Formats: sequence, structure tokens, C-alpha cells
Amino acid sequence: MDNVSTLSAKISIEHLTYRYPFAKNRSLEDITLSIDAGQSIGIIGRNGAGKSTLCYTLSGLIPRFFHGKIEGSIKIDGEDVPTMSVEKLIRKVGLVLQNPFSQISGAKMTVYEEVAFGLENLGIEKDEMHERIDTVLKQFDLYKKKDKNPFELSGGQLQRLAIASVLALQPEILILDEPTSQLDPCGTTEVFEAISQLKTLGITVIIVEHKFEKLVEYVDKIALLNDGKLVKYDTPEKIFSMPQIEDYGVGQPIYTALCKRMGLKKPNGYYPVSFNETVTLLSGLKMYE
Amino acid sequence: MKVLSLYVERDTFIHRLEPITKLLYALISIVITFLFPSITVGAVFVASSLSLAISAKVFKRMILLLNVVLIILLSIVIIQGLFYSKNATPVFKLWGLTFYKEGLLYSLLLIVRVVNMIISFGVLILTTRPSDLVDDLVQKGLSPRFGYVLASVLQIIPQMLSTTSTITDAQRSRGLETEGNLLQRFSAFFALLGPLVLNSLVEARERAMAIEIRGFGVEGKRTFVREIPETKADRWIKVALYVVFTVAVVWRIVLWIM
Ligand SMILES: Nc1ncnc2c1ncn2[C@@H]1O[C@H](COP(=O)(O)OP(=O)(O)OP(=O)(O)O)[C@@H](O)[C@H]1O
Ligand SMILES: [Mg+2]
Repeated sequence: MDNVSTLSAKISIEHLTYRYPFAKNRSLEDITLSIDAGQSIGIIGRNGAGKSTLCYTLSGLIPRFFHGKIEGSIKIDGEDVPTMSVEKLIRKVGLVLQNPFSQISGAKMTVYEEVAFGLENLGIEKDEMHERIDTVLKQFDLYKKKDKNPFELSGGQLQRLAIASVLALQPEILILDEPTSQLDPCGTTEVFEAISQLKTLGITVIIVEHKFEKLVEYVDKIALLNDGKLVKYDTPEKIFSMPQIEDYGVGQPIYTALCKRMGLKKPNGYYPVSFNETVTLLSGLKMYE
Repeated sequence: MKVLSLYVERDTFIHRLEPITKLLYALISIVITFLFPSITVGAVFVASSLSLAISAKVFKRMILLLNVVLIILLSIVIIQGLFYSKNATPVFKLWGLTFYKEGLLYSLLLIVRVVNMIISFGVLILTTRPSDLVDDLVQKGLSPRFGYVLASVLQIIPQMLSTTSTITDAQRSRGLETEGNLLQRFSAFFALLGPLVLNSLVEARERAMAIEIRGFGVEGKRTFVREIPETKADRWIKVALYVVFTVAVVWRIVLWIM
């Protein structure tokens, strides 16, 4: 039974343990989880919990960029990530990082050419290259900026450019590591609008994010990490309804906090996590008893 | 954010030439002026480079470039005019210092060489998109890694300059002296260095990761989004340049033997 679910999963991680070279402690310890194709998964946890490290293992940067010892297994479509060819891996997984400025290649003079950077590296034919670039630029509302120098873009625009550049490579899985943490509210909204489009494309999305109100609107499941260990991997409502959630230093959506304070649970016994759920719950209350 | 770039966008014959053609002109004209210790040869190339700059409509920008080295040129005249080892014939006196003909002529030779170097390279830089030059070189066999370094240096320097001003602003708003006497400024500079270096290191690592996951390390055929065609004109100019270069080298050898 266990085997069957592992086989059908897009990503399956089993007993994954990893320590950075020269580091004293393990950054990931005995992590086991599986993600189905087309699912959206959130990763949360306090600073240093191992969220980025997990992203790097999934995208193959560990062990190709960061060396160190990996134990356990990490597979995409049943194939071992650490030994997969780079070219194949790039076509499977895309990664978007935190800092919008350090993600642009820095070698290209226009937004258009920046998107082309990855396609050129992979030797995509010219016609297809133009087609893909036009598509992603329109998708992320950057088409009007295509002749601008990337360094002239705002943070939100740059982060959308980073997402577009990675998506032009047509990965099946997209990982975003705190994509909005360096953006202002405006840029954050822009990026989340862009992310919500990904779902319609059928891409498997993994996102590390501290803005829980936004995150819960979007993900199917959340993995809560602490000290490199997987504490719980479940739906947002189950994660945030945990009584000891505060112990992991992650906070909770403001709506959940509110409902906990008021002692309001949904009929299924869990606290609401999103705005809509909370409104539904509150409007069901009789005002004057 | 203001983006600094030397490239001047115009639509001229020179702009449309293949970057390598312009690079070849710069290199060959520089080598030739250094092969011949002749002011006339130097002057001929200065004139030819200058006319290229004018026909590319970048003359004004070129003057600005030359302004930057004016002080250096002036100091060459003074030092050689006064102290050149073969100085013998006095020409004039200034504040009690004697300038000599040999030194002044020698400085003139150096000046035409340097000025030609600046103008011929200036034509290349001012009329070529940096990334086109790099793409052109990579298509001709330059290692993509080296090409990336070249392209990003041309692009990232402006960004680093703007980071500098961001950090300076941040420090000033927290009360750090970035103006005032030399000592104050000097210490302010060191306060700036820390965050700048640290920032750059962290960013460099992140950028290395980001380009790696966009396939930078993948070996194999690559494609180029921008067409950089070699036109008929390019081919003729290159042939002409090779001919001029060969003639110059042969002539130089003949002069040397005789
Ligand atoms: N390059 C590295 N070398 C050694 N140790 C590292 C390295 N990068 C991270 N670590 C350590 O690994 C642990 C997990 O770090 P990681 O960056 O994955 O945390 P995170 O959950 O992403 O935190 P944050 O919220 O700060 O981004 C931390 O204890 C950190 O100190
Ligand atoms: Mg992190």
C-alpha cells in the first residue's frame, strides 16, 4: 500500500537527512513526505528550521552546488534527484529565490533577453524561444516592459521576472523560497497574483512563505518544519489548529488567532484559517442571544 | 534606478556593423600605432578613428571620454618635456623650468597612441550593446563562462554603484558622517565597505545559484536570442583590416632589417 502511493507521487522524499559541509548539526533530519502532481504545498517553520535547505535538495542545488552528505532518498517521478542529469533536472524543477535583485543573470540588457538567458543555455530553438518568452511575459504582465533594463524594474516586477524566467523553461515543479519577503505590500500582492496563475497551469508548486493569510488561500497542504525535522504535514486548518503550534515559532493566520480567542470552531472541529471561512463562520452566529 | 551605460543608441552604419569588426579595427589600429614610432602614423589613425566616431554620431560622448584622461595626457607632456632622457634642445621656459624638443615630440607620440586607443575602443564601446559584443565573441568560440563574466561586469557595475548610494543614504540617515573632512570621510568609507562586500558576497552566491538552475552549467549546444549577423560590409572591412595589418607588419620588418 505504502509502495503504491510512493510510485504515483510526483515527489517522494524518504528519510531524508542532510548536513552542510563543516556544519555541526544536521539541517534536515529524517524527513519523509510525498507530493502529488498538481498539488500546491506550503513549507513553514521558524528561521533556521531548514526550509531553504529542503528547497535546495528538491531543486538539486544540494548536492551539486552545496556539497555534504545526503542520506535517505529524494525522487521526482521515481527518479533519484541527486544523480539525475542537470539538464533533465532543470526541465523538471524550477526555483525562485528570495532576493529579486540577485536572481537576474546580470548579463542581459533587457527584460526580454533576461528571460531568454535560460533558454539559450538549454539550446532551445529560436522560434520556440520567442514564443515561450512572449507567453510568459504576457502571463506575468511584463510584456510592456520587455525592452527595459532589468535593473530599472521595481522589486515586485523583478520577482515576477524571476518567476517568468524560470517558467519559460517549462518545469513541472516550481519551488518558491520566500518570494515576497523582500517586497513591499504592493509587490507582494503582485507576486501572489502571479503565483495564483500557476495553479491553473497544472504545475506542482512548493512555496515557503511567512505571510500565512496569503499562503492558506493557495496551498492544499502545509509542511511544518522545526530544527530540520518534519513536525506535521497536513491541511492548513489541521496545522494551525494544533494546540502547540505556538511552540514552533511560526505564528498563525490572524483569522485563526481571532477564532481561537473567541473559541469558534468550524463544524469539523478545526479553526478557520482564511478570511472567507471566518466570515462564513461569524455570519452564522446569532447576534443577539 | 538610473542605469549607467556607455552605449549610445543610434541607427548608423557603424552601429550596425558586427561587434567583432569594430573590435578588430580597434586592436589592429592600436597595434600599428605602437609598431611605428611615428607621429604621422599615429595621427593618421587618430583621424580615421575620429571620423568613425563622427559618422557614428557619438562625437560628443567621445569628447567626454577624452576629458577623463586629459590630466594624464597633460602630465605626459610635462614629464617628458622636462625629463625625457634624450632631451637636448631647449624650446621654451615656464616658471624657470626648461622644456625640451625631444621630450615634447616623444610625448606627442605617446599622446597620439593613447588618444587613438581611446577613440578606437570608444567607437566600439559607444556604438555596441555590451551583450551583443559578448554574444558575438561567444558565438565565435569564447567560453560562455568568460563571456558571462564580461557581460555581467559591464552590467553589474552600475548596480553596485547604486547599492553604494543606497548604503550611504542608509548610513547617513543613521547619523554617519559621509561628508566633512578627509578623516571623517575616510572612516565613512570603511563603514561602507563592510556591508558592500558582505552584500556582494551573499548576492554573488545567490546569483551563482540562480544562473545554475537556469541551465548555465549545462554543456552542449546553446542558442542566441539576438541575431548578430556578419554582413557583406563586415566581411570586406575585415579583409581590408587584415591586408592593412599584414602590410604594416611586413613594412615594419623591412624597416628593421634595413
Ligand atoms: N551554507 C550553509 N552552511 C552551513 N550551514 C548552513 C548553510 N545554510 C544554512 N545552514 C544552516 O542550516 C540550518 C537550516 O537553514 P535554512 O537556511 O534551511 O533555514 P530556513 O528555514 O530557510 O531559515 P530562514 O527562515 O532564515 O530562511 C540553519 O541552522 C543554518 O544555520
Ligand atoms: Mg530560508
